[in-house]
Amino acid sequence: MEKEIIENSLNINRRKFLSRMSLGLGSVALGSLLMPDLFSGGADAEAASFMPGLPHFAPKAKRVIYLFQNGAPSQLEMFDYKPKLREMFGQELPASIRMGQRLTGMTANQAKFPLAGSYYDFKQYGKSRAWISDLFPHTAKIADDICIVKSMFTEAINHDPALTFFQTGAQQGNRPSFGSWMSYGLGSENKNLPAFCVLLSRGKGNGQGVYSKLWSNGFLDSIHQGVQFSSGDNPVLYLNDHSGIDKVNRRKMLDKLAELNDMSYQQFGDPEINTKIQQYEMAYRMQTAVPDITDVSKEPDDVIKLYGPDCLVPGTYAANCLLARKLSENGVRFVQLYHQGWDQHGNLPKEMAGQAKDVDQASAALITDLKQRGLLDETLVIWGGEFGRTNYSQGKLLADNYGRDHHPRCFSIWMAGGGVKSGIVHGETDEFGYNIVQDPVHVHDFHATCLHLLGLNHEKLTYKSQGRRYRITDLAGKIVPGIIA
Amino acid sequence: MKFKVKSVAENILFASNIFILFLVFFQEKVVLPNWLQAVGRMHPMFLHFPIVILLIAMFMEFFRFRPQNISQEHYRNFSSNFLLLGSLSASVTVIMGLMLSKESGYTGDTVFWHKWTGIGIVFIASFVYWYRNEKWYKESLAKISALITAVCLMIAGHLGANITHGEDFIFAPLMSHKAEEMVSIDKAEVFAHVIKPILEKKCQSCHNPEKAKGGLLLDTPENILKGGKTGKLFLAGKPNESLILQRIHLPEEDKKHMPVAGKPQLSKIETDLIYWWIKSGAVFNKKVLQLSEKDTLRILAAKILVPVEKEEEHYDFASADEKTIEKLSNNYRVIYPLAQESPALEATFYNKTQYSSKALEELLELKKQVVELNLNKMPVKDADLKTIAQFENLRTLNLNFTDINGEGLSHLTNLKFLKSLSVSGTKVSLKSIQALKAIKSLREVFVWSTGLSVTDIAQLQKQSGSQMAFIAGYKDDGKSPMKLNTPIVLNKTMVFSDTMHLVLKHPIPGVEIRYTLDGSNPDSVKSPVFRKELVLNQTTLFKAKAYKKSWYGSDSIVYNFYKSSYKPDSIALEEPAVEKYSGDDGVKTLINGYVGNIVHNDGKWLGFQNKDMEVKMQFLKPIELQTVSFHFLSNLGSEIYPPVEVQVWGGKDKNHLKLLKTIKPNAPVKGQSAFSFMSVCNFPKSNVEYLKLVAVSVKKEPSWGNQPNKPGWLFVDEILLN
Repeated sequence: MEKEIIENSLNINRRKFLSRMSLGLGSVALGSLLMPDLFSGGADAEAASFMPGLPHFAPKAKRVIYLFQNGAPSQLEMFDYKPKLREMFGQELPASIRMGQRLTGMTANQAKFPLAGSYYDFKQYGKSRAWISDLFPHTAKIADDICIVKSMFTEAINHDPALTFFQTGAQQGNRPSFGSWMSYGLGSENKNLPAFCVLLSRGKGNGQGVYSKLWSNGFLDSIHQGVQFSSGDNPVLYLNDHSGIDKVNRRKMLDKLAELNDMSYQQFGDPEINTKIQQYEMAYRMQTAVPDITDVSKEPDDVIKLYGPDCLVPGTYAANCLLARKLSENGVRFVQLYHQGWDQHGNLPKEMAGQAKDVDQASAALITDLKQRGLLDETLVIWGGEFGRTNYSQGKLLADNYGRDHHPRCFSIWMAGGGVKSGIVHGETDEFGYNIVQDPVHVHDFHATCLHLLGLNHEKLTYKSQGRRYRITDLAGKIVPGIIA
Repeated sequence: MKFKVKSVAENILFASNIFILFLVFFQEKVVLPNWLQAVGRMHPMFLHFPIVILLIAMFMEFFRFRPQNISQEHYRNFSSNFLLLGSLSASVTVIMGLMLSKESGYTGDTVFWHKWTGIGIVFIASFVYWYRNEKWYKESLAKISALITAVCLMIAGHLGANITHGEDFIFAPLMSHKAEEMVSIDKAEVFAHVIKPILEKKCQSCHNPEKAKGGLLLDTPENILKGGKTGKLFLAGKPNESLILQRIHLPEEDKKHMPVAGKPQLSKIETDLIYWWIKSGAVFNKKVLQLSEKDTLRILAAKILVPVEKEEEHYDFASADEKTIEKLSNNYRVIYPLAQESPALEATFYNKTQYSSKALEELLELKKQVVELNLNKMPVKDADLKTIAQFENLRTLNLNFTDINGEGLSHLTNLKFLKSLSVSGTKVSLKSIQALKAIKSLREVFVWSTGLSVTDIAQLQKQSGSQMAFIAGYKDDGKSPMKLNTPIVLNKTMVFSDTMHLVLKHPIPGVEIRYTLDGSNPDSVKSPVFRKELVLNQTTLFKAKAYKKSWYGSDSIVYNFYKSSYKPDSIALEEPAVEKYSGDDGVKTLINGYVGNIVHNDGKWLGFQNKDMEVKMQFLKPIELQTVSFHFLSNLGSEIYPPVEVQVWGGKDKNHLKLLKTIKPNAPVKGQSAFSFMSVCNFPKSNVEYLKLVAVSVKKEPSWGNQPNKPGWLFVDEILLN
């Protein structure tokens, strides 16, 4: 009897459980109607529909030229005009502005934070009346072609993590570079050249190193790695045949090598082996394409005057800008320039003048040159560093000499061409140039927007590695509609 | 006791019924003291009680006559008490509402119906309460009354919400797509599409015909111009004297600040827009594009309006067969879709040598699908344009640096969709370009670096109006010449033993290099022109400058080329140099032919500190020596000093060397900037096999030095023997 009572109560519980359960499930089902993504198949279905190598939707830009100003140029001597800092020259940075925010070890122990106004004057240019300093007279002339973003901010406060963050979307490294993601997402246009090329130059200012990890393919197929072009007689290392080997021999050797590699692939199935075969083939085609591209002797006088005489001196920023145009014109998806020497902790007025002179004319020339060839509409040009610089002086403040420390909370970059609104200024900083007061743009937002212009959905451009999917924007990134034309 | 409370409540209900009647009849004449206004403003809070309580009470009333309910005392008491409480709270709410409606700005249909449904609720509920125990009060009447009350509650509640939150508060999210429809800048009017939406979003919830707070209505231009009780809203052209901006700019705590604290505030750009609209005269029927391009109002408006609507490309042709695309694609003719699932294709040709007219004709298999064709730098002839004209859906055509002269451009007039054409770097003529005017869809023509002159392009632009843009690009007008960069010396060493073949180059073609050997500055006319190479046979000071027509001459380059007739067969230092500055070639750095510049740490210098430099040389055959020159560095900022004394010892027996010469270089002067110099020791001709050269370093920096009394540095680089 007792057993039956227990049984009965258990049955009641079971019945209760089942009916409650069905009710519960019913409400969950009802609630789930409010979650549109739930039944759309999840990540795997999405991945299956994603086909790398083609834009997700019609792109506005097909190519990118990224003019990276390595070392972090001071926004306060370029585009972020702050008369207040001149008015309050030498006075202490108000604590209400700094709000106890983090500083680098280089100035954290400074007893004073004297505000330093720009040594250089500013004037307004273009239809947006953008303020541009006298250090950039050529950039001022193209004010109507560019979009100045004054409200960039980043998370890192030191060069290497900040640079790595800008280039790969993560501070730690080992992730694919922006150019590699693009090569992966869009494929290469010209099969005779790499989709991602890197050019280095160095100014006389205090410099910071750049390392090949910045153009690494990370976990992507190594065909997406950036290829560095150098300034010497061999722009691409190991490309030329050894003396005594002619084209016919080279071809035979490559054919045999491909056979061997193919056998190896059949045996092990490692996709990197196929990549290797493709790379040998591309290198062979590059043997004719590269000398043609790096030859600047046929450039007309007007082009030389446009970029400035240094554009024919290999290894200069101007020469790299000219080369970048030639590579881009020939279908290279992503050309990455680095110009070093922008780390002005001291001696800023003098060093910045030199750095600006290195890059101003050629940067502006690149825009004009792309425009007159009808290529600006389909090329996205980006100009900027990894973070900004402080509004107070690092070290002693003199009327004609001061330095600025790293400042990640606001800095200026400019963009031009493919799909970017031209002749506008986006975002605003406070009157001290310390914090952003309007339209902040995070590095992830910047990547999301660039990818959008290239016809790629940053949330769908993923790659699975070590058990998880990666994006360049990690789990963040919002498109900035304000700068899209 | 309980009964007593209930009777008190009944009395209050009765009193309030009467009070409501009074208020309704004498509405116009009633004037409320301030403290009662506060009571009235509690209406939006209090109204929630009667809604809930009455709904429950009416629910119970509806089922009251069911046998199982009517017999229960509990049910009877409960429903009666609830009904009383509900009627009472409804009365209080209505009284408060009537008081609130006395405040300015509550007029219009919504308020009217809200008021009368509310009053209706009170009287129906009271009626039910008073008469529900009468004999004639039957089930049907109970049900009808309950239903009517419930419906009235719904209506009054909804209308009230509309008054507080604005019309269509509930359905706005459903209609948002329609409401948020953006107007592109080319169609937008300043008032209708820029200013009005701000008023609608931020002001009209209080200043509308239903609820004209402050007597102000912002629904039509007329009402806006009329202003409210406080006066006119603005003075056209004078934003600083305009009431609307004054109210907006008051601190948010201020009672008169608008919008009222707690409501959505105006953003900076919205305030600016209103400011500039008033400043520009507050006109109601101007289009945004009628404002001048530099007008602040237009620039601000452009920020919030959608840019000119892009004609979204629609491709109404079918996709090509993938196999055809694959068949036609190769490394030099690249074809791919514009985007995933797009039927439109882009085709690009690479490598001149791989191009042929036939390669282009083969592509005609895709003549419907190719919308972008890139033939940059291919040897395309005018005849090929006939082929190109068959790509009927072509949008973008790049013919930069092709071999066309323009005669074939007239074929392109067939292309109904062509939008962008690039012929930069070709030999097209003005006449041939004019044929393009027939292409109505064409928007951009790139004609940089063609045969067209600046005036030609200006003329073309004038003829075709704003529909078609001709992009001329950069052409040097010769008005602002630039400075050439300096010539480059190709020789790697600056020191020679016999003769030197000096070779120069300049990166820019067509440059003339002029030079001097006498230390004077090169001149663009008088100085000799450098050709191929120059043979030097003695130590020379060389200066050169680059010149070219329509450029400014370069800076001078200054080089010293040194003759050193002899090289020792062995060389050794008595004491090694400081490791960091021990030279790229070790001790041989002193005789390797590379002369250092003022950069002391580039591996071309040997550095000594607290020690003298003492170097020994041996010659297998005796040499006739007359001069020994030392290259030293002075850089006071880096504590580098010239030597105090230089000694030359020589002879045929290494144990019995003779002091041939001693000199004392000039001591440095405080504040001197960095420089390098040659110390030359001349002495009568001597035959030597062994040499010992000594440079005595500064052991104590002078008192004005960087580190007084500490040992200074000595930097030595090349030693010349003649």
